[in-house]
Amino acid sequence: MLKGLKIRKSFGEVEILHGIDIQIEPGTITTIIGPSGSGKSTLLRSLALLDPPTSGSVVIDGEEMIFPRDTPVPANFAWPRLTVVFQQLFLWPHLTLRQNAVLPLRSRGISSPEDRVNQIIHDFGIAGLADRFPNEVSLGQRQLGAIVRALALQPRYLLLDEITSALDVEYVAMILERLKTLREEGVALLLISHLIDFARRSADQIVFLDGGTLVEQGTPAILDNPESSRLERFLGLVLEAR
Amino acid sequence: MNFLQITQQYGEAMLGGLYVTLKLSVIIWVSGIVVGGALGTLGAAFRTSVGDASRVVSVILAGMPALVFLFWMHYPLQAYLEVVIDPFVTAALTLSIINIFLVADLVRGAIVDFPRQYLDAARVSGMTMSDTLFQIQLPLLLRQIIPGLLLIQITVFQMTIFASMISVDEIFRVAQRVNSIIYRPVEIYTLLAIFFIAVCVPLNLFAHWLRIRFTRDYSER
Repeated sequence: MLKGLKIRKSFGEVEILHGIDIQIEPGTITTIIGPSGSGKSTLLRSLALLDPPTSGSVVIDGEEMIFPRDTPVPANFAWPRLTVVFQQLFLWPHLTLRQNAVLPLRSRGISSPEDRVNQIIHDFGIAGLADRFPNEVSLGQRQLGAIVRALALQPRYLLLDEITSALDVEYVAMILERLKTLREEGVALLLISHLIDFARRSADQIVFLDGGTLVEQGTPAILDNPESSRLERFLGLVLEAR
Repeated sequence: MNFLQITQQYGEAMLGGLYVTLKLSVIIWVSGIVVGGALGTLGAAFRTSVGDASRVVSVILAGMPALVFLFWMHYPLQAYLEVVIDPFVTAALTLSIINIFLVADLVRGAIVDFPRQYLDAARVSGMTMSDTLFQIQLPLLLRQIIPGLLLIQITVFQMTIFASMISVDEIFRVAQRVNSIIYRPVEIYTLLAIFFIAVCVPLNLFAHWLRIRFTRDYSER
């Protein structure tokens, strides 16, 4: 289980997250929604320990990391059993999509990394693109490349930041199926998405953030019957924008 | 007197000048790349101490013509210190200093601007620090640095002709002396131009090729 307890995050004098408690169970999909600037990506990066919380703690499989702390987070504490697909992907531009996925496996001494990567590439139907560099494929295809890189690590916790933002309907459906398969395999998934329908169809738990505070959480039913007026207003604005 | 005759009669002298020019260039290139690379790396690691001090020197050097700096190193500085230094050493030192700070600026900028998200991606992928350094950071940095580095080396190579002004017998000074004897400026300076073109154009084309080949899409920053 992945837990964030009383997570606070400040940049300088500005506090972005105001003590958030969140829990992500294995074999579930949790989707974070909220307006721009609500702290969704900051929360994801804090839970991933990339920008460690200013205070609070992160618990992974019962191991707790309390903040603030004097020393950096040990590299083997979370990664790569917890990994991230970034909104802006950050595929290494000097490597092909296939090399992007193979390199981390090779670095960790995994035997025959190509076989594992080739299987995922095949499942995603992007074998024809795998030997191209990131700047030689479309943004949507790059996103698939980034997801392949993450899945090749066989993570137990997969955090995805707006991964469907550049994908067409067909790819979104494919990703959704893939995420459901991962859920069945016991992977805990945390998604940030602005697609309410995607969240409704995919999530077991919805978390609504606003102004760095967790306003409401629950099953996807809260999207139809929100308790808080703030979530109701947000959903109304999303509907209007369609 | 045509090209061939000039080459036959003064070839040895020209080769001597060429040797001095190349020796000077190698010293400037090696010192600039090694010391400048190290200074740039330190400047990125210690931005407020080494980095800022190095930038101040760079700005001062950038505001001073290379020839003025060379003359200042050759005349007033040596007079003030009451020493006489071989002009070749003075030229090598002066142009090396210029090269060192140009290279340091380039390297520091590339390291400071390196998108740290590429390193985040390596961290969450569980890569080792050495693999992150050698498989991701260094290759990307080198692709960023090398084209600019080559252009700087071409510029400082061309600056070596300033050494003739303080009596270093490099190729330009030898050409001037030959011309003063036989007065064939067209042939002599054309030969000189061909020499510089032969060295600089391939380097320039190589830098251009590297830029096209390796400067990939960084739009993911």
